[in-house]
Amino acid sequence: MQAHGIAVELPDGFEGRIFRRQTDGPEVACAVGHFATFALPEEVGDFGSGAVTLMGEYDVFAVLFEYGPESGGTRLFAREGMPRALATSDFRPYVLRRGLPGQSGTQWFFTEGGRPFTLYVVLGSHARRPVLVPRANGLLEQMTVGPQPGPMPSGTPWN
Amino acid sequence: MVALVVVLGLVVTGLAVLVAGLLRSHADILKALHDLGAGVGDPSVSPNADPARADIGSTRPVAVPFTMGPQLPPGRDSTSAPAIAGVTPGGDARAVAPAGSGGLTLLAFLSTGCASCAGFWESFREPSRLGLPTGARLVVVTKGPDREIPGEVAALASPGLDVVMASDAWTDYEVPGSPFFVLVDGTTGRRLGEGVASQFAQVADLVRRAEVDGAGFGPGTRADRLVGLDGPERESDNDAELRAAGILPGDPSLYPTSLEDLYGPPDARMPATDRHVRRAG
Repeated sequence: MQAHGIAVELPDGFEGRIFRRQTDGPEVACAVGHFATFALPEEVGDFGSGAVTLMGEYDVFAVLFEYGPESGGTRLFAREGMPRALATSDFRPYVLRRGLPGQSGTQWFFTEGGRPFTLYVVLGSHARRPVLVPRANGLLEQMTVGPQPGPMPSGTPWN
Repeated sequence: MVALVVVLGLVVTGLAVLVAGLLRSHADILKALHDLGAGVGDPSVSPNADPARADIGSTRPVAVPFTMGPQLPPGRDSTSAPAIAGVTPGGDARAVAPAGSGGLTLLAFLSTGCASCAGFWESFREPSRLGLPTGARLVVVTKGPDREIPGEVAALASPGLDVVMASDAWTDYEVPGSPFFVLVDGTTGRRLGEGVASQFAQVADLVRRAEVDGAGFGPGTRADRLVGLDGPERESDNDAELRAAGILPGDPSLYPTSLEDLYGPPDARMPATDRHVRRAG
């Protein structure tokens, strides 16, 4: 699947969505990618609200979230390239947008293809990291981010 | 002497008429066979004169126009539920994995042009009134932007409806036409059922029944093992079940000759309702 300059060959058991939110005003929404080993509901918050509560112990949820071009070149996004081989030690129960018992997460800020992103990965069970992290890495290995397809629409970045 | 010659002449004449009649009859049969396309040959036409009729009168195989559908990818069968990847009417990317979802997924293959689909598009505008069991999700699959106009799909799809435009999915699920519904059990990763319906209430009823029967298709159950089995594998599985029940080859119960062999003497039979109650207990 591919859209908005993001492409991924989903591993077995994963489903996903790559989209830009509809905006009412002059804001410009950047690309967001949601990938999960469970059924993604139609309405999911940018960082997984509405989805992470549905996760089972063996589930993985990942978000690729693009920021506006004005964030490019800042120190937060100094890392070049998306991490594609996460370690079990990268995951912490407290690195969660919404703390849910048993889960853990990791978040990375980086620039790829000249576009600033954050990668946010949630595991359904912190205790099952040895099994779940390779599944997450299998997804990240298949993901490619290209340059911004076409000029960004003018307006205030939403992300 | 004269009488003998006359008689002989009559006999010869009669035989000549008889032979002529037989030849005429044979010619009629050959003509009828030729009209039926039996390839007996047409002596009036040389095979070399008309290439289109070159096979007439020969024993060579005749090419018959016949189109095979696209082959299923390896590893897939009639009950597998491959992932569906495509785009949304808004141009975003969407991939659905019914086999890994854990719950029931109802795939509704619809198009914008078919009259029968209009009622379903209308029904999907009120998801709360669809009557699907909690936890069962609905995904509408249309053909891709190469076959459908995204704007028309967007106009029919209500906000919040999960729509994937993917032509490949129609091939993967061997969809004969629209509307068509496929119910997938995300736990086993198998199709529970598929078919056509005229009203969504019929589909919702089937989904509810499938949910109730779901325990019978759980992992490790006999029903789960049988899904997808066919031919020798299914026969072997049946043999194993019979052996486990103590029924070996040659067992008389395998060869009933009367109703009494199946149900016992009439006096020992109990009302059907009683039998069901006891089985349930």
